[in-house]
Amino acid sequence: MRAPTYVDIHILQTVPPSNLNRDDAGSPKQAVYGGVRRARVSSQAWKRAARKAFVEQVPEDELAVRTKRISTLLTARLAARSGLDAESAARVVTHLLAPLGIKAGKKATETAYLLFFGRPQIDRLVDLVADRAGELATLDDSALEAAVKDLPVKEQLASGHPIDVALFGRMVADIPGLNVDAATQVAHALSTHAVETEFDYYTAVDDENTESTGAGMIGTVEFNSATLYRFATVGIHQLLDNLGGDLEATITALEVFLSSFAYSMPAGHQNTFGNRTLPTLVSVALRADQPVNLVSAFEQPVRSAAGNGAESIKRLVAEMTRTNELWGLAPIAVWSTYSLSSNDTRDNGAVRTVLGDPLPFKDVVVAATELVRGRLTSGAA
Amino acid sequence: MTRHNSDARSLVLRLAGPLQSWGGQSQFNRRDTLGEPTKSGITGLLAAAQGRRRQDPIEDLLALRLGVRTDQPGSLLRDYHTVSDYRGRPLLSAALSGKGTQKSTSPAKYTHVTQRFYLQDAVFVVAVSGPLEVLSGLREAIQRPAFPLTLGRRSCVPTQPLLLDPAADRPEERSGLWEGEPLPVLEQVPWQARPRGQYRRTPPPVVDLPVTIDDLAGDDVRPDLPRSFDPLSRAFTTRRVRQSWVRIATPFSGVTADHDPFALLGW
Repeated sequence: MRAPTYVDIHILQTVPPSNLNRDDAGSPKQAVYGGVRRARVSSQAWKRAARKAFVEQVPEDELAVRTKRISTLLTARLAARSGLDAESAARVVTHLLAPLGIKAGKKATETAYLLFFGRPQIDRLVDLVADRAGELATLDDSALEAAVKDLPVKEQLASGHPIDVALFGRMVADIPGLNVDAATQVAHALSTHAVETEFDYYTAVDDENTESTGAGMIGTVEFNSATLYRFATVGIHQLLDNLGGDLEATITALEVFLSSFAYSMPAGHQNTFGNRTLPTLVSVALRADQPVNLVSAFEQPVRSAAGNGAESIKRLVAEMTRTNELWGLAPIAVWSTYSLSSNDTRDNGAVRTVLGDPLPFKDVVVAATELVRGRLTSGAA
Repeated sequence: MTRHNSDARSLVLRLAGPLQSWGGQSQFNRRDTLGEPTKSGITGLLAAAQGRRRQDPIEDLLALRLGVRTDQPGSLLRDYHTVSDYRGRPLLSAALSGKGTQKSTSPAKYTHVTQRFYLQDAVFVVAVSGPLEVLSGLREAIQRPAFPLTLGRRSCVPTQPLLLDPAADRPEERSGLWEGEPLPVLEQVPWQARPRGQYRRTPPPVVDLPVTIDDLAGDDVRPDLPRSFDPLSRAFTTRRVRQSWVRIATPFSGVTADHDPFALLGW
């Protein structure tokens, strides 16, 4: 299997009093870490928020572009499997895909041509003709058309997946052939400090009701506020495999995932608390070895009179330094978005060394995707 | 009693993270966790590091001997986990139509409720013993895993260090593998539980930690030995284990081990 490439994304994000993610009792989710209670947002909650943002932002792929891509992929695979030359293979593939047709008005993402196929699925498509490829290549157009007419191409193509499934995976227990192994791994978000849940006692009053006084309804809403450490990693080699080796789609998926993961937030109680904030730190690391989660920086909970956000950044930088030096697990490159207070210049030097100079987030995404593209292009050759 | 089998080497892993989950026999909507890592979980972790697919054979991994030491038992966390289609569509049922596609749920079901259990704030030390070549390959695979490694569930990301190497002054340090079978190795691996400063009372200078070792003559049985991870023929069988204790030194000097209330009076 090709050498792994991982893109880790570390985020420190402060949320004000809020209840982003609650359990069946309405309490904000929690976990104990380092012996103290922390606020937690479950991995599945943030994955869903990121996925909704992802599908909204993924650029509309032109049908013509996708049609050509499937043909190219199938042609290459058929030529490799059967030993046919490129031209003959292209001819067989054109006839294989011809009966599909494209109906006007069909929802864009559902059209078979806009689906992606992992390498095993492309192989299964090629399986339909690989054995007889030599014989098919010798037939003329009408005979070839008749020969491939009854093959279950439509069913096979319908088993493809949209681009977000390549990232987030799919499991269908009864049809393992449809399974796609996710390329991302998202950890549960955990607060860097100890958190206790608080209760907001509220009343709802009907001002129009002049006959009786008092509240129409009383209740409590639980909430907490936290500086959350969020971690996700994308296995680029896995993503490339899930997209059948399509380099452009892989870069697009990575780019949109980084933005949607950074900007999205679960919508629990968002109207009550108005808690949509942006991260205070986003750090993207490109690695050639393994994903490295830095939550152990906060195993001893942060406790600061000057606010948890700045102290959390310092702890994260110290853990990154320790990971690089002590464990020899330095990444290939790191790009970060953050802002420093000008008060503590001595610490700021260490922060800049480890995280890199602060960049606008879109520059971080561009830098990361370009380096990934370079690695995939040189590696794929 | 320590036995030194000069052929055997052990790979030592530190499994620690905010959340871990080592499932036993739970199915469907309630996903339990057992109290310590299972052989199927560890086998899966090693196979994932090597990039094996679920259908690939795993007999060579099953032949390795496993020892698990519980440095910090952690506590149980129940996660209320709902499943729904992010596009707002009804969920599909597990039943297949005549064409082999999934049928819709009837009546339409939009949310599926599950409970998933985790071990929070736990630390385990796992020793895997086998021949040198197999373990060296596994060690390299863990350093460059084909799939991201997880502590039982994909959302349970491990913290570093994952691999524990023998100390620099030991002769086996160069290969990164410890000498011996799981139990003698687990008697030597230093304590991995949380560092000083987070206890309300200072721990004693030595602690007794529970270990569970693969032992063909053992009294206990664990049903967590996988036969295959192939989705179409997933199967588990039993293995015999022996449970024991090891005494490990902690970094605490134990000066305050004896509390003498009369010392304050100067008597």
